[in-house]
Amino acid sequence: MTVYESDLPGVGKKFEIEIGDEERLVIVTHNTGKREVFLKTSEGADSEKLFELPDRLARTVGTILEGAYFQPVQSEQVETMLAEGTFLEWYNVEDGSEIAGHTLADARVRERTGVSVAAIERAGSVVPSPQADTVIEVGDTLVVIGSQEDLNEFDVLVSNDAGTPE
Amino acid sequence: MASEVALFELGVLFAAAALVGGIASHLRQSVIPFYIATGILLGPFVIGRLTPYALEATEFVELGAELGIVFLLFFLGLEFNLNRLLANRSRIGKAGTVDLVVNFGGGMVLGFVLFRAFLPAFLVAGIVYISSSAIITKSLIDLGWIANDEAEPMLGTLVYEDLVIAVYLVVASALLLGGGDLGAAVQSIGVALGVILVLLAVVWFGTPFFQRVLDADSHEFIVLRAVGITVLAAGAALALGVSEAVAAFFIGMAFSSTEHIEQLERLLEPIRDLFAAVFFVWIGLVTDPLVFAGVLTLILVAVVVTVPTKLVSGYLGGRIYDLDIRQSTRVGLGMTTRGEFSLIIATLALSGSGTTLTETVAQTIYAFAVGYVLVMSIVGTMLMQYSTPIEGAIVPRLSKVFSDSSVEN
Repeated sequence: MTVYESDLPGVGKKFEIEIGDEERLVIVTHNTGKREVFLKTSEGADSEKLFELPDRLARTVGTILEGAYFQPVQSEQVETMLAEGTFLEWYNVEDGSEIAGHTLADARVRERTGVSVAAIERAGSVVPSPQADTVIEVGDTLVVIGSQEDLNEFDVLVSNDAGTPE
Repeated sequence: MASEVALFELGVLFAAAALVGGIASHLRQSVIPFYIATGILLGPFVIGRLTPYALEATEFVELGAELGIVFLLFFLGLEFNLNRLLANRSRIGKAGTVDLVVNFGGGMVLGFVLFRAFLPAFLVAGIVYISSSAIITKSLIDLGWIANDEAEPMLGTLVYEDLVIAVYLVVASALLLGGGDLGAAVQSIGVALGVILVLLAVVWFGTPFFQRVLDADSHEFIVLRAVGITVLAAGAALALGVSEAVAAFFIGMAFSSTEHIEQLERLLEPIRDLFAAVFFVWIGLVTDPLVFAGVLTLILVAVVVTVPTKLVSGYLGGRIYDLDIRQSTRVGLGMTTRGEFSLIIATLALSGSGTTLTETVAQTIYAFAVGYVLVMSIVGTMLMQYSTPIEGAIVPRLSKVFSDSSVEN
């Protein structure tokens, strides 16, 4: 399997993936975040457009294709929609996260991002409804509830790339 | 404050542009000829001759058009990626040089035949050489060609053309403002090259400064600072007698190496589109459609000559990228569209009116360019849309010709 990558000046990037005898899947990632997916029946043939997705949806679809959907302990975007716009999500506390080692009260998660921590999974057991004095540790999986926007902000807190300005 | 009427007129201008933009999009045509036609119809030369009501090219509209030119070139610089050009230099270089030699050379010959002088020929060459990045890129995406192999030589050639046009604008504005004879021309080109070196130094040494300046945490400040720097630099260049478009191009290039490039693209794109629309409508407002009658032959000759030149250079460019005959034909069809940059060269020609060009020649070149772009933007878009039947007619014949002489790989 070969993946060909090429630049499209002013538009974005193009990836061609061989998916069997002669057939190729072509994915155009626009600078705007839009993804367009095409099918080419053979190398010189015209591409036939299958569908297009906005950035966010493309990531979700990508995650499903990746098989991450069946490993709910992964922090990779395993989300359950509770109601329109409210999600339940799992996040791993990575080494280097700025809230690791702090209590929930000190980390001020709610004030800073707007999400609520519903439970903490640690070493195979679950701490339900954690208290303000519960300490967040590296390797914990936090089960949180919030809007998409709040979750994006929270993602920054638990990952180790905190410190890069927005 | 301006009078109530002036604000209303501006409202009419924007509303009309919005309306015809919608129509153009519905007809799957480029918006550019529609904006120009709107300007012509609503301007003093059509509605103004029939009724007492017409839109005037007021000072504000003129400044808006100027900003349109500045932002178009600023974006060209912003999206211009030297590393990408260098990484792909052998193929882009070959395809781009073929495109330059065939079309600019053809344009020089055409210009000499029509005007019998160097400077007008040089302007005509620029007008017919530069394909429209805006229209072609949009058509590529709309038609789904963007995923095909033919997109690469097309986009690569456009990058090469963008670089050439930046240098060309410096030289052309120097020639127009410098003087007629060769000595003065050499001197003004020397000045122009000096200006390019200064601007390159700004790009080279200014990046850390721009990086700091643009490091604001609100969209408002980022937009204000970017627009402030760009318009200030463009205005200063114009005051010094250098093309404002070129200064804007280099400021865009300087911004492109900061970390804010994607943010700038996102935030400034609507501003560019707004003022570019004003620019195209303004072109129409100051164009008397009656002058087209005088340049109709010129336009017709240019169309007949320069559609084939792009077809040939595009085809060869496709072959340089190892594409087959059908795909190479498509590259040629796709490259024929001319647009915004030809119009910028046309407005530049007006600046030499009465000094280096006689008023008649300047007006003729201007009217020719506007008419030419009106035709070529529509013809080019149509050639892309109807490429399938055209390929069906051309490709088998070409295959017959080349199967005797070339080795298929």
